[in-house]
Amino acid sequence: MSASNEDNMSSHSQLSTLFFNDLLDSIIVDVASECHRIARLGLDRNLDDEEEELRLSAQARARVADPSNSGEATSKYVVDIFGQTHPPVANEIFECMNCGRAIMAGRFAPHLEKCMGKGRKARKTTRSSTAAQNRYSRGSPVSTHSPYANSTSMNRLSNGSPSVAGDEYSNGTLEEP
Amino acid sequence: MRHSVNRPPTPDVRDDQEKEPTLQEIINIKLIESGEKERLMELLRERLVECGWKDEMKSLCRAFVKKKGRNNVTVDDLVHVVTPKGRASIPDSVKAELLQRIRTFLVSTTL
Repeated sequence: MSASNEDNMSSHSQLSTLFFNDLLDSIIVDVASECHRIARLGLDRNLDDEEEELRLSAQARARVADPSNSGEATSKYVVDIFGQTHPPVANEIFECMNCGRAIMAGRFAPHLEKCMGKGRKARKTTRSSTAAQNRYSRGSPVSTHSPYANSTSMNRLSNGSPSVAGDEYSNGTLEEP
Repeated sequence: MRHSVNRPPTPDVRDDQEKEPTLQEIINIKLIESGEKERLMELLRERLVECGWKDEMKSLCRAFVKKKGRNNVTVDDLVHVVTPKGRASIPDSVKAELLQRIRTFLVSTTL
């Protein structure tokens, strides 16, 4: 009995392994069948996420490139990427530094035309020098034409405006003296 | 080889593989009839889910399906994907537990 016991042990081990593999195969088939079902029924939503993203980004790009959407002046209720809407004409009101009147931002340039250009040609020199001194207290070069007047159609402050002194300015600040 | 579920007329266990059912077959029958096979399967399933093996296999399948295309996949494909990795990645503790239970059953039935 003792000798056959050892035989039994090894054959038992072998048999155990056989049965274990049999069980495992059944479970593998179950898992495969389940995954197959999920794949064919399209129940796995993550599967197509990458393709979804690609498609959505392509759509967004098309919408951005579409010219009818980019102009603020054309459409009234354009929504930008932050979800903000902008009115077609900039309606922020501030004080004109030349004449001291309350001007709407969108009407500033035409106002300046009248305010500093055609309106008071006779007093151009004095006016612009005082205005320049008031505005640029950091010792800006006083030129006959203040930088603003040179660019007549100015909706935004631009860096490379054709000013006489050739100063680079952004947001109304000048270089340090 | 007989695949019948009918018991052989004599309960003698023989290693003769030509006409008599093999030891393996007999024990298999006993496993099924006693319900132990079902219990073992459930135990193995539970352990494999707990240790994350099933999730690994599912993600393997998902990757394969993504590569091959949802509608071109067969169950056979997935079985071939899962089997080698699946057999290799069984945790030792799970394997040991199941083998122990099977061996206990074998000992109790063959004695």
